[in-house]
Amino acid sequence: MKEPSANTIPALELINVSKIYQGTPPVQALSNISMSVAAGEFVGIIGASGSGKSTLLHVIGTLTRPTNGSVFINGLETSDLTDQELSGVRSKYVGFIFQDFFLLPGFTAQENVENGLLYTDFPVSQRKERASEILDRVGLSHRVNHLPNEMSGGEQQRVAVARALVHKPAFVLADEPTGNLDSANTTAVLELLLGLNSDGTTVIMITHDHEVADKASRKISFKDGKIDDKLGL
Amino acid sequence: MFKNLRAKSNLPSSHLTLLDTLKVSVSGLRTRKLRSALSALGITIGIAAVVGVLGLSASGNADLIRELDSLGTNLLTIEAGQGFSAEESNLPDGAADMLGRITPVYEVSTVARIAGPVFRNNLIDDGRTKGITIIASDLNLLQAQRGTLHNGIFLNEINSKYPVVVLGSVAAERLGIQDTADSKMLWIGEQWFSLVGILNPLPLAADLDRAAIIGYGAAEEYFGHDGQVDTIYVRAYPAHVEDVRSVMPATVNPENPEEVQVSRASDVLEARAVANSTFTNLFMGLGAVALLVGGIGIANVMVIAVIERRSEIGLRRAIGATKLHIGVQFITESLILACVGGAMGILVGILVTAIYASTQGWFIVIPQTAVFIGIGSSVLIGGIAGFYPAMRAANMSPTEALRSN
Repeated sequence: MKEPSANTIPALELINVSKIYQGTPPVQALSNISMSVAAGEFVGIIGASGSGKSTLLHVIGTLTRPTNGSVFINGLETSDLTDQELSGVRSKYVGFIFQDFFLLPGFTAQENVENGLLYTDFPVSQRKERASEILDRVGLSHRVNHLPNEMSGGEQQRVAVARALVHKPAFVLADEPTGNLDSANTTAVLELLLGLNSDGTTVIMITHDHEVADKASRKISFKDGKIDDKLGL
Repeated sequence: MFKNLRAKSNLPSSHLTLLDTLKVSVSGLRTRKLRSALSALGITIGIAAVVGVLGLSASGNADLIRELDSLGTNLLTIEAGQGFSAEESNLPDGAADMLGRITPVYEVSTVARIAGPVFRNNLIDDGRTKGITIIASDLNLLQAQRGTLHNGIFLNEINSKYPVVVLGSVAAERLGIQDTADSKMLWIGEQWFSLVGILNPLPLAADLDRAAIIGYGAAEEYFGHDGQVDTIYVRAYPAHVEDVRSVMPATVNPENPEEVQVSRASDVLEARAVANSTFTNLFMGLGAVALLVGGIGIANVMVIAVIERRSEIGLRRAIGATKLHIGVQFITESLILACVGGAMGILVGILVTAIYASTQGWFIVIPQTAVFIGIGSSVLIGGIAGFYPAMRAANMSPTEALRSN
């Protein structure tokens, strides 16, 4: 296989990806998805709930393997990698943001952000400083020592965004990041993602909200495990 | 940013330092303080039982050894035993002198049983003897038994010819006498005897504790005792005790050595130690059951934790934890629970031992093996109890774990 130059390789490429959940009856969550995302893009994937878009995000983020097809991250075929290697890829290159925030209770905002560096080789002595920087960037420098249950939903999601950014990932994968937020907080979180994207980070965001998806530089519509239009290719 | 990703050898890898593993595990327990404490409590109880039982039996045995050391294990008791004839046999006259001639024997004392009741006064009904026996003794008895006086004096060359009596500890208690000043006179046989002394318990000869001891002179004078000896106590040099013991029957009664019964007084105390160890085993068994239940408690709490902390597991996988990291985190939590519980148990066990031993006036002895058993079983229980939950956590699919609640 010929080695293409870095700028022609898509940051992400899915070729004929299918995902079937075994069970009775088996559920086809993704069928034959092919798409590619260039480095630095902000892609919004829009679809109704149950359309398989969370599964798609988990496949992209290497949290689960496709039943068929290939996922390339910057040209690297991920199906060859062991579970341990995929964990390494996630620890360094991927930042996840979830609808339910998934902050660890009992940990302060600062500690939750530091957790984003826990499994990386980032020097332990500098974690605190980095976490503070990032919390400052998401506008929460006054909340560093607060526990999740002492913060509003919008603040919690900003902490989660900070955690996803703290290791400077190449990708940010956001699964309904505004799903649990009111409109003011939705705007704030979207602005954070846009700012991040303008700094060069590739953002893939899933949403069921067209207004939210409109902020993305490209929209992919998703229905019943399939891409509805061919915008992505 | 991706430039090296293609070459597999340059793939980034996930890390988790030992310190971080500990921090993560401790924080997992910290957020569930009550439940963690309760599940560790089971282990605390089990380990405390094991350490306490071992500590108490070691302290008790140390006390017994000390007692044996002070009393000596070289006291032999010679009595007339059952011979081949059905009649009751007696020790021959002069037996004590013969024993005294065995070279390693350095101390001989004799006593004789005298028939008769012992009362506080002459008004008490004859039937109420309280099981106190009259013993005629020579002057060496107290020394041979390493006995001590509770108060008063023992028999001596002068008073032993007269109607004076020394009470054993149990005899004094049964008569309700604590002090020689309480009651100057006792009605023994058909004669008033003056009470001159009360003994402390004699661990090597419990039958003397129940006796009213008088001199041979008085026995002859008031009971018509003919000098017949019933029991001879002999002290021999410790290294030769067994040799002396084997030649004794033939020395005492060359014609019928089978009629002579020799026993070693300290054997009784040693038998007591063996009896104690039966209880030790019983309590050790109870401790082991407590540990088993404690281990099941920890396993139970860990299984629940894995189910409850689904989203935490998913999140950790998403931020780069490998299956191994997750498994190690949960097994470390289980180990910490068991080890904290175990450490508390060791402390409680030591405390219980120290308190009980000091109330008994024992030396406090905590055997090292008890501490090692405590630590070892904690680690073992933590590892076993945490293994299955850790496997479950490690193998949980991240997609499943991250499903919205």
